Amino acid sequence: MLHGYGGHILRVDLSSGKIMRERTDPDYMLEVIGGRGLNSSRLYNELKRDIDPLSEENMLLIGVGPVTGSLFSTSAYMTISGKSPMTGILGDSAAGGFFGPEIKYAGYDQLIFTGKSEKLSYVYICDDHVEIRDAGHLKGKDIFQTTSIIRKELNDNSVQVAAIGPAGENLVRFSIVACNNSRVCGRTGMGCLFGSKNLKAVVVKGTGMVSVADPLKFMELCKIIDKRIIAHPEFKDRHEMGSTLLMKALNGLGILPVNHFQKGIAPYVDQISGQTLAKKYKVKNKGCFNCNINCSRYYITGEVESEGPEYETLCSFSSRLGNDNLEFALKMGQYLNRMGLDSLSTGETIGWAMECVQKDIFDKNDFDGLDFTWGNTETIEKILELIINQEGIGVDFAKGTRYLSEKMGKGSEKYALHVKGLDVICGDPRGIKAFGLTYAIASRGADHLRAEPFFELTNRFDEAQKRFGTRDAADRLSDNGKAALVEFTERQALLTDCLTMCKNIGLSMDVLDFELAADLLKAGTGLKFTEDVVNKALRKTITNERLMNIDFGITSKDDTLPYRFTHEPLLEGASKNQVVPVKNMVKDYYKLKGWDKNGVPPKP
Amino acid sequence: MLVIDPNKCSGCRRCETHCSFYHSGKTGHLGARIKVEKIEILGVDVPVVCHQCKEHYCTKCPQKAISITERGSIEVSPTLCDLCGACEALCPIGAIEIYNGIPYVCDLCGGSPKCIEACEMDAIFFDPKIKQSVSLASFKKKTKKMSPAMKRYEYAKLESKNIRANWLKNGRE
Repeated sequence: MLHGYGGHILRVDLSSGKIMRERTDPDYMLEVIGGRGLNSSRLYNELKRDIDPLSEENMLLIGVGPVTGSLFSTSAYMTISGKSPMTGILGDSAAGGFFGPEIKYAGYDQLIFTGKSEKLSYVYICDDHVEIRDAGHLKGKDIFQTTSIIRKELNDNSVQVAAIGPAGENLVRFSIVACNNSRVCGRTGMGCLFGSKNLKAVVVKGTGMVSVADPLKFMELCKIIDKRIIAHPEFKDRHEMGSTLLMKALNGLGILPVNHFQKGIAPYVDQISGQTLAKKYKVKNKGCFNCNINCSRYYITGEVESEGPEYETLCSFSSRLGNDNLEFALKMGQYLNRMGLDSLSTGETIGWAMECVQKDIFDKNDFDGLDFTWGNTETIEKILELIINQEGIGVDFAKGTRYLSEKMGKGSEKYALHVKGLDVICGDPRGIKAFGLTYAIASRGADHLRAEPFFELTNRFDEAQKRFGTRDAADRLSDNGKAALVEFTERQALLTDCLTMCKNIGLSMDVLDFELAADLLKAGTGLKFTEDVVNKALRKTITNERLMNIDFGITSKDDTLPYRFTHEPLLEGASKNQVVPVKNMVKDYYKLKGWDKNGVPPKP
Repeated sequence: MLVIDPNKCSGCRRCETHCSFYHSGKTGHLGARIKVEKIEILGVDVPVVCHQCKEHYCTKCPQKAISITERGSIEVSPTLCDLCGACEALCPIGAIEIYNGIPYVCDLCGGSPKCIEACEMDAIFFDPKIKQSVSLASFKKKTKKMSPAMKRYEYAKLESKNIRANWLKNGRE
């Protein structure tokens, strides 16, 4: 008997309505582990490369890890993958909450959706029962409404709902999938992929259980992990503020995006900080499945209430746009979750427009009369509506900053802050060099979560010497040793994605190491996982993702950063005068990986 | 009984996973004897577990398979129980539910409840003095003929009024 794993792979062809269940192959799982590893391998083997991401030939995968839904703390995630409608390369996005574990309780490791439904539909999965249901009545409904209506009509409040909003239906390239309203797969436009398949939601209920091969050993390992989490020096702050603690922390390092990365410090940071949010609006902690940090929060302002926001949303709609009004940022965060837009990419399009207006590249007339001055909340609200409904200039905005800037031209491309078409996250890489390298090489574009080299911020110089051969790896301003750091944390990040667990814990807090993970996998699944087997699987997945991206047209020229980060030094604060020497780091990184100078891995 | 403070509950379901694992070595929502009802749209999370109620409705079991232990918890005799489902129907809050051929109800883990150890939010504690004193009569009518899951949802919905009033009073400055 296969332990840990759900035991089945579900295939739903939305064109023909055909539904198939396959048994999970244990030998194959030893090569891919699960979650993102399983998804990326599936795409590598089965996805036609030269397709339009919006065509019915694209695949939509939802993968879950082998010990997700178990006693293992923070194993709450699931990963959605496909060819990204936003970037045209590998796309995937993970979310926590309760959707991932529920897939396991229903007995699956991966859900595969192919084809395109004729009419707007949702798929309801309850254990072996799988049904494509009409969603005509959900057309145009926001994510909160959709979730409530589906639960009501199924007469079951406990079903897990992953849904898209109007933005996803209207094929906004950076639209999201949200699980139970507030846990969001934000990046690379997986909501758009749902929309392109006429899939409004996936609804799951599982009445089964997750068994483990060696319960006593497994429990012992889970206790070790729990202890590491609780004893961690960041535990208290993370419990109180979650990722929103980064507002003040990054401001202190001089790398908080302010006015679209023109500055790294916001003089008004106390008005928009995680501390202020916790003090003024938070009513209680919220947690994902089986978490012992419970870093999320429920907040109530005079106007709105919701779970959230995470740091990236908070920053995207405050300092990144020159807005010092916290209540407005919260309101926008909730609105984006309801309508189904990614806060990072949405924020980037608006920040780009504001900078272009500041620099007199464009004016009001270029933007349907909207006044893109910094922090203009009216304009922000209006452009969101235009994007969601694909009206006026919203049509071009809805295709993302890369497309928008290339279409509008006049040198504005220089200020479009993206890598490979995916917008840069809210951390200025000029003061965190390993993050700069991560954005440049990440297989889904400018993203921190592919390697999250948080290590360079933790001052663990002795540990840096031990792990990466140089104390500089723990110095955020040095570019030395960063390729080694990123090569290491890239595997660690993928490991958390394969286990579909929380990255804050596995990676940023450095709780999960390869040996412990191998033991956990072995005790959980009963399969012969060792540290070597795990690392082999991780390396192979990273290589396959790269090969797939090369098929999608990626070359070494794409492994870089926007001009601002490589040529314009920060002018003030704790990262003053810094730029990112990205070329050297990328070269080091290729060398370490054994890739040639064009970033091509050797043939297997 | 297990006393719950839903104002503190984060909804993480650690109580469920640890309850389920302790009793069976497996994890799952239905394998737990304490179940967290989550109403995302209201922000509330309410763990539902046997209240050891004054009325002890479930003991009206036609097979007389249900008795009350010294600790006040419910005990089901596996030999007498014929899975008729009367206990499920009788409990007003969905705290007893048949799963895999067993009526699942809190047994206090023999005196040291695992859910309390697992909860990082201090939302659950054990008060051995409270036994058969909480009345659930007010829920009895409201949840008549509902499934255990719907009863828990109804219970959480009613609790949410107090929780939200507390937030607005104490939660913020």
